[in-house]
Amino acid sequence: MIKKSGIGLAALTLALMTTALPARADFWSDAGAKYKGVVLHGVTESTPPSNYIKDVLAPEFEKKTGIKVEIETTSWDQMYDKAIKDMEAKTGIYDMIYIEQDIIYAYLARNFLVDITKSLKDDPSLKSPDYDESHYTTFANYFKNADGDIFGTPMEAFIKVYLYRTDLFNDPKIQEAFKKETGKDLKPAVTHEDYTEIAEFFTKYGKDNGLDLWGTTAQAHTGHPASWYEFFESIAPTFGVFNWGVDASKNYAASVENGGTMNSAESKAAMKYWLHLRDIAPPESAASTWTEVGTTFAAGRVAQGLVYGENAAWIASDAEKSKVVGNVGVALPPTEAKVLEDVKAGKGYLGYYDGGAFGLPVTSKNKEASLLFLQFIGQDSVQPDWAVAAPRITNTATYDDPKIVDMDKKLNGYYSMLKNDGKLFAGAPPYPFHAQVREATAPIFYKILLGEIPSDEGLDQMAAAAEAELKNLGYRK
Amino acid sequence: MRSNTVGWLMLAPTIAILGIFGIAPFLYVLYVAFHQWNPFGASPLMIYNGADNFRRLVFDPEFLRSVAVTAKFAFFAVVSEIALGYLLAQLFMREFPGRGFFRTIHTLPLIVAPIVVGSVWRLMTTPSIGIIPYLLKQWFDYDMNIGRDAGTAFALTVIMDIWHWTPLVTLTLLAALLALPKEPFEQAQIDGANRWQIFWHVTLPMIRPAILATVFIRLMDALRTVDEVWMLTSGGPGDATRYVGLHIWKIVFPKTDYGYGAAISVIVLYLTLVMCWILYVSLVARRERKRVA
Repeated sequence: MIKKSGIGLAALTLALMTTALPARADFWSDAGAKYKGVVLHGVTESTPPSNYIKDVLAPEFEKKTGIKVEIETTSWDQMYDKAIKDMEAKTGIYDMIYIEQDIIYAYLARNFLVDITKSLKDDPSLKSPDYDESHYTTFANYFKNADGDIFGTPMEAFIKVYLYRTDLFNDPKIQEAFKKETGKDLKPAVTHEDYTEIAEFFTKYGKDNGLDLWGTTAQAHTGHPASWYEFFESIAPTFGVFNWGVDASKNYAASVENGGTMNSAESKAAMKYWLHLRDIAPPESAASTWTEVGTTFAAGRVAQGLVYGENAAWIASDAEKSKVVGNVGVALPPTEAKVLEDVKAGKGYLGYYDGGAFGLPVTSKNKEASLLFLQFIGQDSVQPDWAVAAPRITNTATYDDPKIVDMDKKLNGYYSMLKNDGKLFAGAPPYPFHAQVREATAPIFYKILLGEIPSDEGLDQMAAAAEAELKNLGYRK
Repeated sequence: MRSNTVGWLMLAPTIAILGIFGIAPFLYVLYVAFHQWNPFGASPLMIYNGADNFRRLVFDPEFLRSVAVTAKFAFFAVVSEIALGYLLAQLFMREFPGRGFFRTIHTLPLIVAPIVVGSVWRLMTTPSIGIIPYLLKQWFDYDMNIGRDAGTAFALTVIMDIWHWTPLVTLTLLAALLALPKEPFEQAQIDGANRWQIFWHVTLPMIRPAILATVFIRLMDALRTVDEVWMLTSGGPGDATRYVGLHIWKIVFPKTDYGYGAAISVIVLYLTLVMCWILYVSLVARRERKRVA
């Protein structure tokens, strides 16, 4: 009798509890209920990670929350153009914008972005139990302010790696020919000298054998900023020229005369090295930006090259787009021997750690709903499939997921390199004048590429132009 | 009095739209042009600097070069488009099988967005990948490389513009030709005029307003071309195709030098007006005065 009453009481309590408490299907449906019918607008660059947000994550989020997300994927310059104009004019068209790693400092300087950490602290009802900022890799540090608050959900993160064709490098006939020509074994380059030798060998090999094959890629467009970036972010650091040769601690000096390194002997050597490579690269190199370099490699037109990691996955694994599937090796970029030692000791970096985040403009009209979406794409659970679809890892747990371990094998260790050697790479320096200095020096840079100015003289002019621009902007006193 | 009120009321929406979207932005640009303003500088404040921006552009070699190369581009593009457009309009006046189909096909480039036009032409002209360098190599053993050859890059931007905009000229001139009365032509034939004389003394004077309107439209467009060229050459190689529209974009957007960019925009607008005025005076007003006299 007592037992029966007890069961009845328990059942009654349970029934009361289930009716008194709101239904908690999961956090997303509960939190999203308030914003059902809201349409969020985001703008981003058309890249594999962004397309994944548009095609997969946005529909999933809508299904769970009832909040519709429309993602506009466009070109790099259009993406900036639209986002900046929207934030400046305070029109509030966009609720989410792509923040490239190098523009974040300019955005923060202008208070364009919502402090995500603070916003979630201020309104705990918006905080998902599945979202934790501490799960991000150290790349997230680029999107934090001095207090450690985050201003963007990391969504792209990749390093610019040295890719080489394993089918060519492992071909006994080619190995023998290389040995005969150089007296050395053919293996991925470690130094600039090695790299140049291999590049020269393959360009000659291609020509002698009537093949569409060259020794190296070169992202050397003569009118587009991509070439400027290749030099200052990928080539110059391997010679020991960091932060574009601008030293913030020395009153933003760029010239050697004032304490900078933009026109240093190392910088000049780097330029000569790169121009020589450009000259023995495929003819399209003079019109190649970051995308075309990946395409050139994927088309099997080069034996080796520096390629942005975001392209590494499809080059190595997507047979519909790439002719070199299964034949792609990954290595660290070649450097001057001393530079690698210094970098390993924590002085400088040897390549570019690029990527971006999805941020929330202060002008957004749907901040709360956007905060939900930003957490949704920042959770651990959505990361592995995203990392398989697009080669990016932003959360530490992703590395150990079986899908990623498997993918890492296909990519010959790209993810392992990101995990183990990511620390040797760095993003853009924390300068708010990024685009301004680039644009002030780029016209001279293009003249160097076209041979209109000797490279040493050109770098001297660029250092002077950078300092003048920094003075004009009010940074250099 | 009453009719005046109704008239003004009818005009009010147009005036409001013009004011909000035309006059106000222009006045704002003019205001910015007299300031030093770089929102991404150490001080984002707008500081009045008189005519400094205008003084600066007179001695700015980059700006002057961009104006010169734009003038060259506009000249070659507009002259070619008018000539080709007229010939095509004459062709489409004639009866031939499939005329309607060809007229339609011919107008297709007009509906393609400039950014797409630039992308497609880039694809077609990229060395080693594009069909054009491939054919040039096959037929003439010529290595075309728009990343290195300034002349080729410039010529390509002109050709691309001609491809994109000649149909507009054709359509306008075709409409003008179709609207012409037959009598003057019959009279000229009876008088024994040859084809050239008929063209020069009858056709041309009668379609001159249409030609002029087209020239003005195309000239203004050519002077502010940006997106197609950005996609094709990004202004390169070097500054070979850094047309003034692109130059302004680079000054205002990546360099965020809003004050100077606004000053250049104002001057370019002024130069465009002057150019159109010169054309008007030399081709229309003078003839009108002669006719009246």
